Amino acid sequence: MTNCIEIKGLCKSYGDFALNNIDLTLPGGSILGLIGENGAGKTTTIKCVLNLIRRDTGEITLLGYDNVREERLAKQDVGVVLDECFFHDTLRPRDVGSILAPAYQNWDQGLFRDYLSKFGLPEKKFIKEFSRGMKMKLSLSAALAHRPKLLILDEATAGLDPVIRDEILDEFLGFIQDEDHAILMSSHITSDLEKVADYIAYIHQGQVVLSDAKDNILDSYGRVGCTAAQLESIDPRDILRARKGTFGCEALVKDRSAFARKYPMLLVERTTLEDIMLFVGKGETK
Amino acid sequence: MTGLIMKDSLVMRKTLKSYLLIMVLYAVLACLDVLNFGFIITFIQVMLMVLPITAFAYDEQAKWDRYAMSLPLGRSRVVGARYLFVLALALCTFSLGLFGTAFIHLLQQENLMEMLLTLMVSATIGLLIPAILLPLCYKLGAERARPYLYAIIFIPTIAIVLLAKAELLDFSALNRFETLPPSVVVGGAALLPLAGLVLLFVSYLISCRVVAGKEY
Repeated sequence: MTNCIEIKGLCKSYGDFALNNIDLTLPGGSILGLIGENGAGKTTTIKCVLNLIRRDTGEITLLGYDNVREERLAKQDVGVVLDECFFHDTLRPRDVGSILAPAYQNWDQGLFRDYLSKFGLPEKKFIKEFSRGMKMKLSLSAALAHRPKLLILDEATAGLDPVIRDEILDEFLGFIQDEDHAILMSSHITSDLEKVADYIAYIHQGQVVLSDAKDNILDSYGRVGCTAAQLESIDPRDILRARKGTFGCEALVKDRSAFARKYPMLLVERTTLEDIMLFVGKGETK
Repeated sequence: MTGLIMKDSLVMRKTLKSYLLIMVLYAVLACLDVLNFGFIITFIQVMLMVLPITAFAYDEQAKWDRYAMSLPLGRSRVVGARYLFVLALALCTFSLGLFGTAFIHLLQQENLMEMLLTLMVSATIGLLIPAILLPLCYKLGAERARPYLYAIIFIPTIAIVLLAKAELLDFSALNRFETLPPSVVVGGAALLPLAGLVLLFVSYLISCRVVAGKEY
């Protein structure tokens, strides 16, 4: 089966910042969560995927099509929700349907109306009267109404309350029930990704520093809480990153079980994606 | 592409409605012989010249371009849609002008040739100014391109007025038109909007080039 997204050796330089040799693969029927600090390169990667910016080197295919040479074919089955609602305030949801229908071969006006109704969006109300949550739901309805196979979401759930986020995440889970469907989503809200993502790619300073199945990461990585003296006693090869605080130290380990066997006196706990981000972003190698 | 043309019309529906109202009002004033027909046609063209820059300003406000470029259209079609919108506006104005010319000629027996010449020249200006302005809007954005709109309108106007005052322009040459058969004059004047269309197409190619090099 063709991967929904394949990124090979993607490089893009802005002088003071560069995406460096990004390799990512998104198989069908799954969600790939892109995490990283602000300015790490998540949006730049997504912009390269959507051909909004020119890449320096590398190859990107969307649903088997080259995203530059076969851009129109590649994007025909892609739904996009970016970090803002890009529809003009003076438009109404039904106008959005009329505008987008000619752009997509498979646009389904009935389905668009169904989504509007499902999300409780009045068709005749001006977008300027919508809340942020309503605007994001409108963007999502617009992204889904042409029955895409691939959804690309850049911080689509940022700034939304937990209830709306949960509603949208449920929609994503329903979307990937079809094995041909997949989602690439970048988010700062790591708890959302822990709920829905199958794969996680962590971009740090323009490089992929971690890319694996989410369950592998959460089942394998561990967080060790210890004193400075205990930290000193640990073999540097057994920890990835360490953080030293006033009241103690903590370390990130890649293989929790192996670490627990080797250091039975130290307590090693399950970790979260947020912990991993904090270790990589603020921690240091021992 | 039709969706994007529709988007421009929908986003500016209020503006277009008010313009339509003004046009109807002016048409009535022209019928009542309160205002000169030539003035009205030129005024409407100037109003319409501002519309494309307004469309860019609205798009910038909504950050629409980034979304439009993520649609399966390609950059040249997104640019093409804006040019077709301008062309549709120009065609509407020209058709209204043509209708007005015929109506006023029948109503007031005014000089048909003079009115047709005014219409052709104003239609050309209506194509020429977007042809210059649209690539500037793509390159600089609506706000930074706006001063160029005023420069395009006012610099030639002021230059002509100053040259005429300094008696450097010889308007007597225009009198020679009166000796030509009306069909030759109107036929020649009809070439002006066609030249405007050619320039608009060249402008489209320049805009495509500008947009191809842009990052969103």
